[in-house]
Amino acid sequence: MGPDPDATLMLAFQRGDEGAFRALYERHARAMVSFCRHLVRDAARAEELAQDVFVKLYQAAPRYRPSARFQTFMYRIASNHCLNELRRGEYAAGAAGAKRPEEPPDLDALPSRDAGPEAAAVGAALERAVGVLLDDLPEKQRAALVLCRLEGLSYEEIAQVLETSVSAVKSLVHRATVSAAAALAPYAPAAAKEVLP
Amino acid sequence: MRHPTEDLTALLDGELPPERAAEVTLHLAGCAACRAERDGLASGIAALRALPPAPEPSPFFSTRLAARLAREARPAPGFARRLAALRWKLAAPAAAAALAAGIVVFAVRTERAEEAGVALNLDLLLEYEAVASLGDVETEEDAAIVAALDDLTSKEGTP
Repeated sequence: MGPDPDATLMLAFQRGDEGAFRALYERHARAMVSFCRHLVRDAARAEELAQDVFVKLYQAAPRYRPSARFQTFMYRIASNHCLNELRRGEYAAGAAGAKRPEEPPDLDALPSRDAGPEAAAVGAALERAVGVLLDDLPEKQRAALVLCRLEGLSYEEIAQVLETSVSAVKSLVHRATVSAAAALAPYAPAAAKEVLP
Repeated sequence: MRHPTEDLTALLDGELPPERAAEVTLHLAGCAACRAERDGLASGIAALRALPPAPEPSPFFSTRLAARLAREARPAPGFARRLAALRWKLAAPAAAAALAAGIVVFAVRTERAEEAGVALNLDLLLEYEAVASLGDVETEEDAAIVAALDDLTSKEGTP
């Protein structure tokens, strides 16, 4: 594993370089808001939680040691924060979430993905379906699925983020992916071949 | 071999050790049910990959964060260390100066108190001498001065 540019920035910030923290923010703000949004399923609250994460990172800088990838460190803070938020009970499944389609979408009825506005319509339909999926998943599966499928972390990294074993992550990711397959199969029949080894 | 259901996702994610991946792949070659299961999982993964990019945070996100950092966050550790060092650098000479000033003030005050005492005594002495030279104590004030000086001279003579 090569040098972690985020860890380098965090260490520079630790030495007092405010510009390094700004660079970290610019690199991760969008992903962090997206991650929080997927976990708590509330766009406005997700921005507040993402801000909390950056404040926590700022305050944690003196204690930061680059023993793991910076992203793992950041997602651990974010996951704990969002899962605590979910456990407060204000975000019961579906409470803030996606509108449930009454019937599964018919892809043939949807516009082709090649055209701009039509692709946007397909994307919006897919987003709603993913929203419903995430609402229905238990919180740990939801976190594991988002970290794996949307943030691109490895099982080992997810285990560090969620403070559990790799085998537990493997099971969480599998069960969440089974649910995703059931909920989203109509959206990606053509793309599935890209995933196969 | 039992159906390696849970390993199918890990196989698609490239998360199986090579030996186990080879076993599962071999099993897939002869098991239509597991191939169907794997293809279904691959569809779900492909759909998630097709999600549109995350939207940008709201335009006020960075402004609000900057305000919160200014209000809630502590200074950067490097800054804090430098600030702490600067405080000590400033504080040490200041403390030394304050101590020195205190000593000077104390000394000056003590000296002034002594001088004031001496001056008072000198004034009294002059008046005593004047009164004594005149050999005439006419007023109660003169008598009080003489009594005070007598008292003073007797105390000075006491070891």
